[in-house]
Amino acid sequence: MDQSGPTTRLSDAVRDLAAQVVSALRSGGHSPVGGAFPPSTGDDEITVAAVRVLGADTLLPDALSFRPADPAAVALVARAVRAFPPGASPAPTTAWSHWAMAGALRRLAPGSAEPGGSGEPGGATAEPDTAWLEYAPWPVLTHQLAVLAALAVPGCDSGIARVAAARPVDVARGFVRAVRRRDWLQAAGAGRWLTLLDGVPDTLGLGTGLEFVGLMGGTDPRVVLHLRAAGLLRTGVPV
Amino acid sequence: MTMAIASADTRLVHAVGVGAVEWLHAERDRFRLEPDADPETGFLQRFKPIGELALIAKVLFREGVSGSRQTDLARKLIDHAWREHLDGGRMLVRGQRTEPLSPIPFEVYLPFRELGYHEPELERMVELCHRTSSWTDREYTPVRRLGLSAFENRYGLLPGVPLPEAAERTWLGHRPEPWTVEGHTGYDITHTVFHLTDWGENPDGLPADVAEYLALWLPVWLDDWLDLKRWDLLGELLVVDACLPRPTLDARAWAGFAAAQQPDGAMPAIDAMPEGDPDEVFDVVYHSTLVAAFASVLATSRALALLSADPAGQGPADPV
Repeated sequence: MDQSGPTTRLSDAVRDLAAQVVSALRSGGHSPVGGAFPPSTGDDEITVAAVRVLGADTLLPDALSFRPADPAAVALVARAVRAFPPGASPAPTTAWSHWAMAGALRRLAPGSAEPGGSGEPGGATAEPDTAWLEYAPWPVLTHQLAVLAALAVPGCDSGIARVAAARPVDVARGFVRAVRRRDWLQAAGAGRWLTLLDGVPDTLGLGTGLEFVGLMGGTDPRVVLHLRAAGLLRTGVPV
Repeated sequence: MTMAIASADTRLVHAVGVGAVEWLHAERDRFRLEPDADPETGFLQRFKPIGELALIAKVLFREGVSGSRQTDLARKLIDHAWREHLDGGRMLVRGQRTEPLSPIPFEVYLPFRELGYHEPELERMVELCHRTSSWTDREYTPVRRLGLSAFENRYGLLPGVPLPEAAERTWLGHRPEPWTVEGHTGYDITHTVFHLTDWGENPDGLPADVAEYLALWLPVWLDDWLDLKRWDLLGELLVVDACLPRPTLDARAWAGFAAAQQPDGAMPAIDAMPEGDPDEVFDVVYHSTLVAAFASVLATSRALALLSADPAGQGPADPV
């Protein structure tokens, strides 16, 4: 019997899910080595919660056209959207990650269940606010962008992407800060954004920096997921 | 585009230097040499604090933003160091006779000479040594070689390695990946800037690409070493900021630096003040306290210059 606490089980499930996504990205959409999607946690609620944590990146292989929209993945994301509504006054990153998941569903599987607060299809599509981020100091900006790195997808326009596009130097500074502090997940998320932005200073050494993050922090599948996404964005992928 | 970085209150910046000079003056006897030092350690080892004191006193006189008491204390301090510790220059001669090809007596002497002190015998030795191939070809780290070339230039000697070439050989001259910076590279960066600008006197001495590189990445390093409470390196980085064409005078970094200063003016090197034998405490914190005086004078001077250039009170601008 599993004696670990719910937090550990959830973070394990998030890692397993991230590893599955990475595997799909590597395999070009063929059945990943790790087996069926989603990975079985033996606990349906934990799986749905893990999808909520990983957010729209659960559908990244689908969004990048690596596979036809996987019905199982779409259904799972739709369940997560309904099971974890953002609430009346959510934290901005919660509101945005929810918006990102709903947006991914709209693009990949029009007509699938969308959030309406009550689980009804056809929920609100309005973007959440970006004011909290527009004038944030660069360390805060980068941290929040890294949390929302699932929005760093080509062709996925959003208020967050517009804020990031307006502040490439600040995001680059945040990348340096994250690497210096060995916060590999934040560094990978920031690096993923930087691959999408114009105006990133050459002296940053982004390509080598991303490889460095991979070598130092690559035991975490969530880090690898961002780096894999960044690699695909750098080389150009069909969307 | 970047968000502007808030600038520090000039009174706070200035007060850091006032406190530092008070402490340095109170502790002036601890800038002691050790004529009977163990040969393993070497007699020249304790010259470094005196050389740094003279360099920074010169900055203080040059910038002219100190109050009359601060200037008076600095003048007494430098006189004391020359008369008592260096025995009117004789200790420099003794150091040179101990290690004839060492650049240390020359490097310590230079700022004193620029402040009007002279030791003719040392000058004869320096000029002879400078003509030897051994002096020129001695192996140094790139930043140390740059420093020596800059000092040779200031003294009126032909630099053994031309300044631009020496600058290009340094870590900063190559403008490497900013996320690779560690503590030792931090000191290489700061000293490269000190030498290229003649310790803040000539900000135009920074090549444009290096100045641009520093404007981009210095805010990250300030943030980092502030959080690490590495006050000596943070202070040196604040000097670098004040040497840039458009200094940020970073309010958060200055507030943290000022808060670390002790009521008597001492600046701990790392984290909190050490305790113990007063001479040993001095040896740990004299450098960070000198740097505090240096950063304060230079940043105050830049803040006042920006104010007079921009009477609307816009202050320093966003660095990028």
